[in-house]
Amino acid sequence: MLVSVFVAAVSLALFWMAAFTLWWQMHAWRTPETLAATRFESPAGAEGLSFSLLVPARHEQAVLEHTIDRLLESGHRDFEILVIVGHDDPETAEVAERAAAREPERVRVITDTHETKNKPKALNTALPHCRGEVVGVFDAEDQVHPALLAHVDHAFTATGADVVQGGVQLINFHSSWYALRNCLEYFFWFRSRLHLHAAKGFIPLGGNTVFVRTEVLREVGGWDPDCLAEDCDLGVRLSSAGKKVVVAYDADMVTREETPGTLVSLLKQRTRWNQGFLQVYRKRDWRRLPTVGQRMLARHTLTTPFMQAFTGVIIPLNVAVALFLDVPVGVAFITFLPMITAMVTFVFEIVGLHDFGRQYGLRVRLAHYLKLIAGGPFYQLLLAGAAVRAVWREQRGRSEWELTSHVGAHLVREEATR
Amino acid sequence: MTATLPPPATPPPGGTATLPPATPTPASVPVAAPAPAAQRPDKRRVTVRPTVRFRSSRPDLLLCGAVLVAIMVVQGWNIGDYPALSDDEGTYLAQAWAVQQGEGLAHYTYWYDHPPLGWMQIAALTWIPSLIAPDTMVVATMRIAMLLVSAVSAVLVYVLARRLWLPRWAAGVAMALFGLSPLAVVLQREIFLDNLAVLWMLLAFCLAASPSRHLWHHFGAGLAAATAVLTKETMLVVLPALLVTMWRHSHHDTRKFAVTGAITGCALIGFSYPLFALLKGELWPGAGHVSLWDGITYQMSRPGSGFLLTEGTGSHGALDSWLYYDRVLPLGGLAGAALLLLTLRWSVTARALAGPALALAVLTAVALRPSGYLPAMYVIQALPFLALVLAGGAASVAHAVLRKGRQRPRLVPLRRTAAALLAATALVYVAPRWYEGDRTAMTADANAPYRAAARWLDTRVPDPANTRVLTDDALWLDLVHSGYEPGLGAIWFYKADLDPAVARTLPGGWRDVDYVVASPTVRRDARDLPTVRDALANSEPVAVFGEGEDRIEIRRTRGTDGAEAR
Repeated sequence: MLVSVFVAAVSLALFWMAAFTLWWQMHAWRTPETLAATRFESPAGAEGLSFSLLVPARHEQAVLEHTIDRLLESGHRDFEILVIVGHDDPETAEVAERAAAREPERVRVITDTHETKNKPKALNTALPHCRGEVVGVFDAEDQVHPALLAHVDHAFTATGADVVQGGVQLINFHSSWYALRNCLEYFFWFRSRLHLHAAKGFIPLGGNTVFVRTEVLREVGGWDPDCLAEDCDLGVRLSSAGKKVVVAYDADMVTREETPGTLVSLLKQRTRWNQGFLQVYRKRDWRRLPTVGQRMLARHTLTTPFMQAFTGVIIPLNVAVALFLDVPVGVAFITFLPMITAMVTFVFEIVGLHDFGRQYGLRVRLAHYLKLIAGGPFYQLLLAGAAVRAVWREQRGRSEWELTSHVGAHLVREEATR
Repeated sequence: MTATLPPPATPPPGGTATLPPATPTPASVPVAAPAPAAQRPDKRRVTVRPTVRFRSSRPDLLLCGAVLVAIMVVQGWNIGDYPALSDDEGTYLAQAWAVQQGEGLAHYTYWYDHPPLGWMQIAALTWIPSLIAPDTMVVATMRIAMLLVSAVSAVLVYVLARRLWLPRWAAGVAMALFGLSPLAVVLQREIFLDNLAVLWMLLAFCLAASPSRHLWHHFGAGLAAATAVLTKETMLVVLPALLVTMWRHSHHDTRKFAVTGAITGCALIGFSYPLFALLKGELWPGAGHVSLWDGITYQMSRPGSGFLLTEGTGSHGALDSWLYYDRVLPLGGLAGAALLLLTLRWSVTARALAGPALALAVLTAVALRPSGYLPAMYVIQALPFLALVLAGGAASVAHAVLRKGRQRPRLVPLRRTAAALLAATALVYVAPRWYEGDRTAMTADANAPYRAAARWLDTRVPDPANTRVLTDDALWLDLVHSGYEPGLGAIWFYKADLDPAVARTLPGGWRDVDYVVASPTVRRDARDLPTVRDALANSEPVAVFGEGEDRIEIRRTRGTDGAEAR
C-alpha cells in the first residue's frame, strides 16, 4: 500500500512536470498565429539605432577574421565591432589588430587583462568602451546574417524592447548521434520555448545574438563575472527588473553554430550550463519577479536539467514497478503517465526534425530519424550525467571555484548559447 | 466554444481569408535600407478567419437554446415508458451498478466483450442519484441520465455545424434533425454505449474543427476520439473522417505537429485498453481466465446478420425498424452525403462537410458488408453525421436558389418564392410524420408488463434472498433491489449456460432454478441455451403480463415450490 502511494505520487509529480515542459516546448506551434509572431518583422522604417557588437575571442585566430569580415558585410549603416582579446593571447590579438587597421572606423580592439579569464569578464571589460545605443554579443566563430542588424533595429523601435534575442542554431545534425539531438534541442529552444519565456516575462537569455540597450546594461552592472551561465543570469536579472524582452527567430536569419566536437566536451559544456543554472537559482534574483506564475516558471526552468535527469531514471523504474510488482491496476496506470508524456515528446521531436530539415533546406534521411529514436535514451543518460556532475561540482563549493579557471577555455570551443 | 461567422453558405475556400500583407510600398523604403531585408515577404502575417465567440453570440445562443429546450421536452417526456426496455440497457446499467458497488467492471466475470469505459461513464453519471436513492438505479429511471448525454451531443452538433461554416439556420436544422427525429428520440433515450460514444466523437470533431487551430485542441480531438472508441469500439471506422476534418481545418505551417500530435494522443489512449489487459495478465488467451484476445475473436466472429438489402435477414430487419421510425433523416441524410461527395469539386459546402460525408460513406460501406453483424443500435453513430449532412445539403440548395448565378434584382422575388416553396414542401412532408412519431414516444407506455412483472416478483415471492430467478438483463436491477442475490440469485439467463462460474452453481440444471421471467428476449435466445430452454419447457406460467409476442410470463419450474423447495 505504501509502495503504491509513493509510486503514484512520484509518477503524478513527474507527469505534471513533463506535461508542462512539453506544453512549453511546443509553444510556437500552438496556433499558426503564434508561429507567425515568432518571426522578425520586416524592417519597414528608417534605421534609428547604433550598435556596438562585442566579439570576445580567445585562441580563435583561425576563425576570427572570417567572423569579423562577415559582420562587416552587414547592411546596417551604424555599428562598431569591439573585439575583446586577452593580454596573454598575442595570436588572436594580431588578427584583431589587423582587422582594426583595415577598418579603423568600424573595428576596435579591447584588451582584457584579468588574471583568470572568462566570457563575462571579457564582456564587462568592453562595456565602458561601447559607443552604440545597443550592445550586441557574438562569439568568435559565429556566422551572422548581413540583414540581421536591420531586423534587430526594427524590432527595438517597433516594440520598444529593452532586449532583443535572435535565434541561434546548431546546424551539423549529421555529424553524430548526439549532434543530431543537440541540434534539435537548440531548434526547440530558440524556435519555440524562448518565445514563451519572452511572452511570460521571464527569460534566460542566450549567450550570443543577444542585443541589449546599452543604458539598460550599464544600469544593471553588466554581466556577473562569477556566474557560469552569465547569459542566463543576465536574462533573469533583466526580467526581474521588468525589462521587456523580444525574441525573434527566422531560419534564414539565425546565427549558425556547430555542436561541441566530442562527447566529452558536450558533457563538460552541459555541466557548466547546469551548474550555471544552479547558481542562478541560488542567487534568487528570480524571486523579485512580480507574479507567482513567473516565479513558478523560473523555478521550473532553472531546475529543469535536474528534474530531467531524474525523470530519465524514474520512467523505466516505474514501468518495471507496474509490470512486476503486485500493485493495483489503477496505480499501475498512473505509473505509465510519465512515459506517455515522454512518448508524445518523442513523437514531436521526430516531427521537429522533419521541420528542421525543411526550414534549413537540409536533407534528413531515414537513418537520422532512426538515430534520433535510438539515441534518445543514451542522450538522456548524458543529460543525467551532466546534471549529477553539476550538482557534485557545485556541492564541492567555492573553494573549488578558482579551479574553474578553465572556463576561459570555454570561450574557445564551448560557446555559451543559452 | 467558438463558431465562425462568414456570410451564409459562402465559406471562403479552405476557410481562410488573407490579410493584406504588410510589406512596405517602395516609396516608403529609405534608400539606405538593405535590399534583401526590404524584399523579404513578411511572414509574420498569417491567414486569419473571421470568427465569433459562440458564447457571446446572442442569436446563436438563443437559437441553440430554443432547439435544446424542444429536444429536452420531446426526449424527456415519458422517457421511462417508451421505448420498451432493452436487454442491452440492462446489461450496461447493471455493470455500471457493479462499478459503483466496487465490484469491479461487472458482477459477473468481465470478459472483454466491450471496453469498459462506456459503463464507467454511466456509473459516474448515475453515481449521485444512486447514492441518494439506491432504488432508482433501474433502467427506466436512469434513462434520465441519457437526457444529459443527448443535451450535450445536440449542442455539440450545433457547434460543429457552425464550425463547419454552416449558416446559423442550417446549424439549427442540423440540431433539430439530430434531436427530434423520431428515430433519434427512440434511440437516444436508451442507455446505449453508442450514445456516449457519439458525444465523444462529436467533441472530437468540434475540437478538430477548432477555429483557433490550436495544437492542443487537435491533440484533445485525438484524446476524445480515443475515448469514443473505448466507449464503443465500432467508432473506430469513423476515425478517417475525423482525420480529414482535422486536416482541412489545420494550417499548413502547424499541420504536421497538430495531426501527428492528435494521432499520437489517440493511439496512446487507445493502447491503454490492451495495457489494462496486460496488467491484469489477460491479454492473451490461457487456461482458466478470460482474455482480450478471446473477446476480440468473439466479436469478430459473431454470426453475420445477412446482407442489409436482402429481405428476411436480420440486417434488413434492423434497417426496417429504423425506417419505421423515420425515413427523412436516414434516407435524406444518405442522399445528402452522396450529393456532397459527388459535388466535392464545385461546392464549398461539400468541402466543408467532407468529414461528416466521409463518415457516412464509411458507415454505409460497413453496413453493406454481405455477411457482417449489424446490431440495431448501429445507426446511432450515424445520426449526427446524417443530420449535419442533410442540413448542409439544405444550405447548399438554399444557396443555389437564392444566390447562385447573376444577381438580377428582378429575379430576387422569384428566388425568394422558390426558396419559401421548397421550405414549405419540406415542412409539409416532415411535420406530420414526425408529429406522429414523437407523439407516440411522448405518450405510449411500452413497459407496463415489465413494471408489473417487477412488482409481482417484489411482492409475491416470499423469500427473495433464497430464490433463484433466470431473468433478462433489463429486469435484473429491479430484482436486486427487491432482495434477490445479485449474480447467483437473480441470474442473467444466458449466464446459466455461458458462464462456467454460474453453471457450476446449477448442477441440477433447470431443477436448481425457481423462476424464469420469460420476456421476448429470453424466449428468442433460449433456442441456443439448453438450461434456459429446459427451464422454459419444465415450468408453468404463474403470472402473465401483456399479451402476444411482447408478453412477459413469470414461470415457476415444475416440482419446486418456490423458495420452499430448496
